[in-house]
Formats: sequence, structure tokens, C-alpha cells
Amino acid sequence: MRKQLISTLALLLGFAATAVTAQTGPVNGNAESGAQLYFDHGCHGCHGYSGYGRKDLNNTGSPWLMNEEIFRAFLRARADVAPLLPSTDMPNYPANALSDAMVSDIYAYVRSMPANQPETQDVPTLRTILEAAEQRQYRP
Amino acid sequence: MSKKRADRPTDPATPKVDRRNFLKGAATGAAALAVSRSAEAQSPSAYNASLSAPSYQQIQRDTGSLAPPTPDRTVVRPGSDLMVQALRDMGIEFVASNNGSSFEGIQESIANYGTPPNHMPEYITALHEESSVDMANGYGKSEGRPMAAMLHGTIGIQHASMSIYQAYCSGTPMMLIVGRDDGFIQAHTADDMAAMCRSFTKWDAQPKTLPECIDALHEAYRQAVTPPTGPTLIVVDMELQKEEARDFVVPPFRPAVIEGVDNTTARDIAQRLLNASNPRLNTGMFRTPEGVEAAVRLAELIGASASTNAMQLSMGFPQRHPLCGPGADTAYDYALGLEAGSPDLSLQRLSVKSLEAERDVMGVGFGSMRPGNGNRVRPGRQTQEQGTVLTVDAEASIPVIIAELSRLMTPAKQREIEQRKTRHASANQEAFLTNLRAAVEEKKKGWDLSPVSTARIYAELWPLIMNEDWCLASPSGFSGGHHRQLWEHNKPYSFLGDQGAAGMGYGLGACTGAALAARGRGRFVVNVQTDGDFNYAPGALWTAAHHELPMLTVMHNNRAWHQEFMFVQYLAGVRGRGTDRGHIGTVLRDPFIDYSKMADAYGVQSEGPIEDPTLLAAALERGVESVKTGKPYLIDVVTQPR
Repeated sequence: MRKQLISTLALLLGFAATAVTAQTGPVNGNAESGAQLYFDHGCHGCHGYSGYGRKDLNNTGSPWLMNEEIFRAFLRARADVAPLLPSTDMPNYPANALSDAMVSDIYAYVRSMPANQPETQDVPTLRTILEAAEQRQYRP
Repeated sequence: MSKKRADRPTDPATPKVDRRNFLKGAATGAAALAVSRSAEAQSPSAYNASLSAPSYQQIQRDTGSLAPPTPDRTVVRPGSDLMVQALRDMGIEFVASNNGSSFEGIQESIANYGTPPNHMPEYITALHEESSVDMANGYGKSEGRPMAAMLHGTIGIQHASMSIYQAYCSGTPMMLIVGRDDGFIQAHTADDMAAMCRSFTKWDAQPKTLPECIDALHEAYRQAVTPPTGPTLIVVDMELQKEEARDFVVPPFRPAVIEGVDNTTARDIAQRLLNASNPRLNTGMFRTPEGVEAAVRLAELIGASASTNAMQLSMGFPQRHPLCGPGADTAYDYALGLEAGSPDLSLQRLSVKSLEAERDVMGVGFGSMRPGNGNRVRPGRQTQEQGTVLTVDAEASIPVIIAELSRLMTPAKQREIEQRKTRHASANQEAFLTNLRAAVEEKKKGWDLSPVSTARIYAELWPLIMNEDWCLASPSGFSGGHHRQLWEHNKPYSFLGDQGAAGMGYGLGACTGAALAARGRGRFVVNVQTDGDFNYAPGALWTAAHHELPMLTVMHNNRAWHQEFMFVQYLAGVRGRGTDRGHIGTVLRDPFIDYSKMADAYGVQSEGPIEDPTLLAAALERGVESVKTGKPYLIDVVTQPR
């Protein structure tokens, strides 16, 4: 068990260290199936239905999403089970709960998430908020 | 069932009720009850022999099928009239209650005593005792003074206990009046009624005579508003409510005297503030709006920059006051804490935590309650070094300090202060805008998503209300708290903070109470309402409709008790059992709840469910227009989880 953890850690650290310069890996799974799995396994709980939530994962550039292998290793070695990694609120996903194929599909869905951050200048509400703050005078 | 009465159906103010049909229905109900009772008598008793079950006569009486005994003489000046007079003298605007036979004397007096009757206090009809106390909580937080809630003996007080606990944890001043009717339904009375919630009330009394009762009401008010502020409770026997008061006169109410620092301490503080080249005020939650005003006067007089927690709690220093912010220079050479910590000196009133040894008769322990600042400081989150703490009310202290400052002030010092104020104002404006720009970049993530992002709800609301007089009365922790970064909290009631004890069921009742305070003061309440919380006591919507309260409810409908969903999912992951069953017991689907229809049923105009974010702004605009005319409005928005 410990040997497995150490090798996982080495894999993760190795990938993480090169993540900044590495190319994003290929998508092998089925995004449509992954969307259902993403919902069924409650990923939306923290990450929102489309990757924006309590913890964003939509186009964040996270090293854990660089390719499928890193993503799978990350899910398999969460801190609550393998405390060699920094602890987060993320649950552990052992293979008996989330197969490699399922991970592959979820990864495909995560990678398919379109960015949804309009330019501030294109959103009248946001423009109004900023302009009003600049112009408004405090009144008791 | 046991508290509903059908023997007084006619109210001239509600002509829509068909009296004949109403009575026919009541008679049918009584007959059904009689049959049911007869059948029950043939079966083995389900009651524990040691308990006193209500008698047939008692149930008939309580369900309205038997008129109460007629007194042998007409009471011309009932004791309850004097109790209502005492409430009026103290400025109690509202008494919220779900009616109960143990306080019907007071209820009748509110309805009929005085000119005009049912005014100061006005009877507010609640559909659940938890709602009535939550209303008093919302009112108390927004006004800094008590509202009253009236509770039926034993059963009403137990219904209300959760919301009393929340109010206690928040340190909200309020008066709870509990009826007691010895000799009626035994299960509805107790020798020591207050014992049930003594551990989480500040003070209680069970007076034996009418003069004692009036004194107790006066004292209950004083105790509620005197630090440590909190709920107080008076048990009022039915006999006292009904007895003839004869020539007894309600004595004048003597307000509470709350002391601040002594003159010597005030002079020392004033001197240190004056000597400092860059003084600072760390401010927390004051008791009343007057405390906020005093803090502003002090900051302006000395030219000190000030911190605020107006984005977390009510009664905070106005966020956009030119002196509010880090100031031009963050190297403060003297910091005075006013209901907040400070590395130099802080003035902090007692919190209800200080009552634990005396009041926690049940040994609850109150593990979540923190010392200082009325339960506002989270352990482990206070990063600055704490200096001397004087346990004294800051609000009462500030006028004394200002008096000393005025005496010590010189023209040269005033010129220096004016220059400092200008520098602070410029720096604080820039700091606010910098933070706001960063917040907007963050909040626009997922802007066009369906379901709607919670940040977009707050963002779309702000331009619609920024020039209005508003109060965000709902807790926002479960909804992302986006107002903290996007809105400007400049009034003592801009935001009323969290539930107190993190208990669900608080939001709608508290917002209704805040809307009571708002009605007649030209403001309205915004309630971003989580769905899980809503379903505990949705009947408060009817209260809002019935009393025409300006409350805009925007559902944060994520169709779950989402925090628990994440907890269960996490634990399943920790246990290696997979995360695909975390929804069991934590989500509200199959079927979805239609909150718009619920609002319609309670008589509140509504729309939704809205899933398309492009429809949101127009819906919110309609809602704001509605509440500006005094009509509550609900918009069901299906949202992202958080």
C-alpha cells in the first residue's frame, strides 16, 4: 500500500513539476457520459454544474487537469486516504468507486467545459456597479 | 388543532368570511371530534397513566366547541389592558404570535384596548411560534431594540425554543411573553414554565400579582437591552390577565441606564487619540443605531480611519463613509477598539456567554459561543495582538470620550485632523474601488450559466436597490455572501448577519420581522432565501401578505440542503464507498418544489422558476417595484449549488 502511495506521489509531483510547460494531454473519454457521471457523483456540489462553484475547475490551468493520468492519480490519492498530499475538502475516489473508464469520461467532460467569463465591459450590470461606485457620494 | 378556536369567527374588518358557512364547518368538525372521541373511549388508553390527558371538556373548549366560562361580573379594567399599556409605554411596536388560549386576555386587550386599538403594539399573526420569535429576532437586529413575541404555555414555548436559542446566540434583545393557564389543559401548563428555555434566555420572571407583572414587563425590557443583550421571558398567568385592575395605575417606565467608561478613562483615551498622528478605530457591532452614529462622530472628530464589519453584521460602521477603510497609512500609532479587538485598548460589552454559569441550568455548554463582542469574534481568526480589554459598553462610552476630546481639542489639532481626513478619504475610495474591481472579475465567472449563478443574483440586485433604502435580512453564508464584495453597507440595518446558531428555518421569519421594522420607515427588505431553510416555516409568507410587508424574496433554489450534500459525499469518499449516493436525504428533487406556487398559495405575488439568467434582471425589477409599494414578492430562481 505504502509503495503504491509513494509511486503515486512521485507521479503526481513529477507531473506537477512539469505541468507549467507540458502540453495538455489528449481526451479519450466520452464527455456526454462524463457529464452524467459528474452529476451522479456529486462533482457539481463543489465545482458547480459547469465548473464554476465553490472551487472552480473551469479553465483554471490547474496542474491536476493537465492530462488524464494526472487527473486519475489525483482522484485516487486524495489526502484523506493518502496523507502525503496536501489536504483539501476533496473526497477520495478509489477504483472500486470510480473506474478508470469513468474517470476518463469525467475528464472529457471537464475538458469540454466552455469558458463563461464575459468581458466586464460587455455586461451592463457590471459596468453599472463599477461606474456607480466611482461616482456615488456617501450619504448617511 | 388544540390551539385553534372557531367560536369567534366574525371580524368586521374581514367581511369576506361567510359566517354561516364558517359556523356550519365548525359544527361539523365538532361532531366529527365527538365521534372520534367516542371511538377512542372503547380502545385501550394510549396515554401514559402518569400524564394528565386533556379531558373531553377541555378539548371541546380548546377547539372552540365550548364557550369559555362567563365571568360572574363584567371586568371593566382587566389586568391585560394594563399590560398592553406597559408595552405601549415602552415603545413595543409589534407582538408576533400564533394564538393560544393561555394568553387570550392579552391578545384581546391588544385587539381592543386603547385608541387606536391594535396599535403600539400591533398584533402580528404568525403561523408558527418559531416564526414569531424569528420575527422578533429580525426586528431586534435591524432596530437594536425589542419586539415582543407571545407564546402559548408549554407547547408554544417548545415550538419557539430553537428560534429563542438563535436569538440568544446573536444577543438580540427581545421580550417573550408566555401565557400560563393553571387548571385548563394540564399538558399546557407548568409550575416553572421558563425552565424549558432558561439556559438560553437572559432573564425570566413569573409574577404573582398584577403590579409585579407590570414591574416584570418593565424589567424584561431593561434586561433585554442592557449588555449582555438577549431574549427575556415573562410568564403571565391567565388570572392576572383577567383580573379587575380597579384603580391600579401603570407606573412610568424607567429606561435602562447603561454605563460607559468613567471620566478618567475617557480623558486618557481622548488624550491618546489626540496625541496619535495616525489614530485608528476598530469597530464591531454596536447595540443600537445611536451607537453607530456616535462612532461616526468620534471618527470624524479625531480624523481616524475606521474598520467595519457592516458586511457581516448589523449595527456596523458605514462601509462607504470616507473614513472607513485602511486609510492613507496603515501604521496606526493608537488603535481604539469599539466592540472589536485592538492591540492597544478595546471597549467591549458583555456577551451572553457571561451568563452561562448562572443561566445554563441544562448544561448545554454553548460550545459555539465565543467571548467578547456579543459572540462575534471567531477563535483562531484574530490575527492582531490583543491589548487591554475593558468590559464596558462602547456605545455608552463614546459620548463621554467625545466630551473629553472636545474639551482638549485645539485649532491647530483640528487643522491637522482635517488634512488627515482628506488623505484617508482619498485612500479609502481607491481601496474600495480596487477591491470592487477584483470582486467583479471574480463574480462574473459563470455569468451566463443556467441554472443561475448565485453571484449574478446579488450583482443584478445591486443596481436596482443601490439608491433605495434597503435591508438585507437573510443570512448569506450559504449563498456565497456576494453582497459583501459588491454592495455598500451604509446603514445600521444594511445586513443583519447570520442565524446566530447556524440553525435552519430562521431566514423567512427573520426577514418578515425586519420587514415589520421596514414597513412605515420607507425601506424594504431583501431576502435571498435558501430553499432548505425556507421549508421549515414557510407560513411566514402569509404573515408578510396579511400585514402587507415590503419583503422581496429571491429564492436561492439549489434544490438541496447543499452543505449536507457535500458533507455526506465527502464522508462516503473518505470511507471509500463511492460518492454517487450522497444525494440520499440531502436533495430536494423528485419532485422539485415549486416555490412560486407556494407563494401564490400564501397570497404573495410571485414568479418563476427562473433558470435562464437573462430573465433574472427584469424579474428582480418587478419584485423591487412591488415591495416599494408595500407588497411582498417572491421570485423562484433555480441556481448553481453555491
